[in-house]
Amino acid sequence: MLDTGHHRLRVDERLEDPEFRAEYERTRRELAQVNAIMQSLDDLRVNAGLSKADLAREIGRNDAVVRRLFTARVNPELRTVAALAAALDAEIRIVPRRRRRTTKTERVAPTGA
Amino acid sequence: MPTAAVHEPWDVIYYAAGDGRCPVDEFLDGCPTKVSAQLIAVLDDVADAPPPRYSGGGRWEAMHRDMGGFYEVRAQGPSREQFRLFCILENGTSEELARRGLSRPAIAVVTGLRKPWKTAFSERDYESVRRLGVDHRAQFPRRIKE
Repeated sequence: MLDTGHHRLRVDERLEDPEFRAEYERTRRELAQVNAIMQSLDDLRVNAGLSKADLAREIGRNDAVVRRLFTARVNPELRTVAALAAALDAEIRIVPRRRRRTTKTERVAPTGA
Repeated sequence: MPTAAVHEPWDVIYYAAGDGRCPVDEFLDGCPTKVSAQLIAVLDDVADAPPPRYSGGGRWEAMHRDMGGFYEVRAQGPSREQFRLFCILENGTSEELARRGLSRPAIAVVTGLRKPWKTAFSERDYESVRRLGVDHRAQFPRRIKE
């Protein structure tokens, strides 16, 4: 059999560059998040006992579109994700990973006494 | 005939030309660091999915018409320059894969191209990609960068 390890070796080499590593990890996280959101929605759908066709009807979209959203790693429109969440009695939230950055106004030293 | 489990990650292999050159390494080495990081991150994400579960999204797209059978990984660089990797899926029964020298399914990356924002690749560009794809598929076992 052929040695198919070249790609992995090159990736490992490139990951030693901090700029490459940061962008690689950011992109992987971004792709994983989209996948995780769709997986969560699909779990809610199954728990609700809805078929993909049922859900498609709920949001007024084509069966095939909704089926594809749940069976492939796609990049769904935010509006579609929000509609799916609403149809499943859920909502989308953004959770900051770190503490909020200090704003410009907060960095200005207070004046007066 | 047994085929690989649907959810097992695939390998990523790079086509090598007859003279030993590896167009993929040459292309990636010439890309801005962030662009090569994005292209490789998408490749790894698709391979881990693996490809039968992965479609669309703007970063991994099946190609059509004359480029049917190819998939492209897409990234955007500075000044919205567009970067593409052209890939072929190596899937089949374990016997078919063994004949190609592969122990499991793989994404074969053939080459890469770049173009300015809002321009199209020429027919000559696509023909050059197809020619490499034909050469890749003609090799048993596959000729890859090892």
